[in-house]
Amino acid sequence: MSAKGVETTYSERVSRWKLMVIILAVALILTIVLSLNVGFAQIPFPTVLKILAKRIPFLGNLVDSSNVSYVEETIIIQIRMPRILAGALVGVALAAAGVVYQGIFKNPMADPYVLGVSAGAAVGASLAIVLGIGFTLLSLSTVPISAFAGSLLAVFIVYNISRVGSRVPVTTLLLSGLAVSIFLSAIVAVLQVIAGERLHIIVFWLMGGFSYVEWKDVWAVLPLICLGTAVIYFYARDLNILALGEETAQHLGVDIEKVKKLLLVFGSLVTASAVSISGLIAFIGLVIPHITRIMIGPDHRILLPTSMIAGALFLVICDAVARVIVSPVELPVGVITALSGGPFFIYLLRKKKESYAI
Amino acid sequence: MKSNYVVYIATAIAIISIISAVYVYAHYEGQNADLHSTVSVLQSDIVNLQSELYKYRNLTLVDDYGYVLNLTSYPDRIVSLAPSNTEILFAIGADDKVVGVTDYCNYPYNFSAWIEAGNLTSVGEYWTPNIEAIVALEPDLIFAAFAQEEVVNTLRGMGYKVFVLAPDNIDDILKNIILAGRATNKDIEAALLVNNLRLRIDAVVNKVADAPSKPKVYYEIWYDPLWSVGSESWEHELIEKAGGINIFADQTIDYFMPNSEAIIECNPDVIIFPLGHGVGQPFWISFDQVKARPGWEAISAVQNDRLCTIDADIVSRSGPRIVDALETLAELVHPELF
Repeated sequence: MSAKGVETTYSERVSRWKLMVIILAVALILTIVLSLNVGFAQIPFPTVLKILAKRIPFLGNLVDSSNVSYVEETIIIQIRMPRILAGALVGVALAAAGVVYQGIFKNPMADPYVLGVSAGAAVGASLAIVLGIGFTLLSLSTVPISAFAGSLLAVFIVYNISRVGSRVPVTTLLLSGLAVSIFLSAIVAVLQVIAGERLHIIVFWLMGGFSYVEWKDVWAVLPLICLGTAVIYFYARDLNILALGEETAQHLGVDIEKVKKLLLVFGSLVTASAVSISGLIAFIGLVIPHITRIMIGPDHRILLPTSMIAGALFLVICDAVARVIVSPVELPVGVITALSGGPFFIYLLRKKKESYAI
Repeated sequence: MKSNYVVYIATAIAIISIISAVYVYAHYEGQNADLHSTVSVLQSDIVNLQSELYKYRNLTLVDDYGYVLNLTSYPDRIVSLAPSNTEILFAIGADDKVVGVTDYCNYPYNFSAWIEAGNLTSVGEYWTPNIEAIVALEPDLIFAAFAQEEVVNTLRGMGYKVFVLAPDNIDDILKNIILAGRATNKDIEAALLVNNLRLRIDAVVNKVADAPSKPKVYYEIWYDPLWSVGSESWEHELIEKAGGINIFADQTIDYFMPNSEAIIECNPDVIIFPLGHGVGQPFWISFDQVKARPGWEAISAVQNDRLCTIDADIVSRSGPRIVDALETLAELVHPELF
């Protein structure tokens, strides 16, 4: 194949990728707007659109919002908007981290929680719940802050256990992540035993969800997740090279230790941010990267953005279902993600049939 | 200016009348029908006066978590996030203001029928109430309870007035009834109710004071794993007030998981099982099963067949029925006195 031929194929591929990202992004925006209509309170869709249009500069003055009640506006803007955006952000973060970890570890079982982020967050959150600490930092309540601190602390410990000089062998990293997770889970169990009447709060936190997300939570994690995913996307090419094996990557001039560390740090950062507002939502970070990989291939330059948007899309839909399926009671969103995503993933695996590798 | 003087005088009259009404009611209740009806007329006058007065001042209340709530008008649309709150609000006569309750609220009325008929709205279950459902009711006052910090913080962040009733003991429950009365313009009803509850508590305490002995009580909240009550729970306080000794009084915690051996070693004289929380069926399955638990044949309560049940709702809800629980417990612990 001539050099020119390769180039054309690549640019063709890029334009196909662009189209795919645009389609997914449009689908995500549509889903967000549509899911604003889903909830306990029955608010007609035109009213939802009016409330949204009112917020758009210039256009807002043209909208006749005289028959929009204060309550409807409160529900849409103060309750549904932040939780839907939080769902999208968490979906983006978990899917991105999932792609990164599966890429670094070259292990299909890897998910955003392999380095002990979830267990660390669980210890932090449970501790705050059991101690009933009431203080707030920068107007955020204690539970998300201590969850965030706990998860980063756990990753820091895991990283230092597995560090050999300036190198971080991935197998050791994986195993020490597992060991630290088991240890921290035992601490969570102890905290649950002594929690008394506060046990329920821990249980619901561990199941994850967006029921009580506020705008300030969204604003707190938005910069962290944007920064983290931007850095990760910047290293998508290096993830491709890492997939060839660390030695090959070294020969190709990639400073693999530096790339690995950067990706681990920012992968952990986005996961910790996500977990701090949503609790532990299983499945997204593990399976969304696999689903997109089956559908569009293993090139990280396209796998990363599509996984991120697909993660957001999937989580926003799951949260909408969780809101209404047994209304007024809400199901934990993690239940919906696993119930709906599991069978779909199995279907894709069976359909693909041929052997499948990262 | 002039109308202000009228208000001050009216306040003085109202306060004097309240005190005398409570005094008269407390001492002559049921003995003199004429007097009783006079008191009732007096009460309704005072209530009217009070609501007039209220327009001239603001009300500041402090809840069990130290949150300061400012009320500038009496609530017309109250949402109760706990069965205990619902029971308090209905007991003090604020029922016509309650627009939302939880799925667990089942007293003093069968609220699920009301909800189906559309006269009342459910805001979901206790641990994770539906915030949209609450907001849709446009409440001007929300009564929350234990372990609801998350929803309370979110609602307060949105500007809603939330008052948390999370008492530590029976005195706090009585204080909370008074506070709920203050917040809903039912001061007199609340004062009368609390006075009545105090008389009943005193009656029980006085009665069990004459008992020759204090039986040891094991209170089992759950089996597999075993859960019991430590000295921070109000079950403990109820047991002690009912003239018994909680075998786990040395545990400075509310609820905890004891060891089966510890129960056998403490050798309780009475074992009490609350019926109805969480599940309809008894969690201990049957008393025969309890007696067959390994090693339990050595326990005095098992040998003397002193295994009893109590309605979980009256024990576990921090409302006025806590006194029903005390009376029932006293009968279970000291059957010889009743």
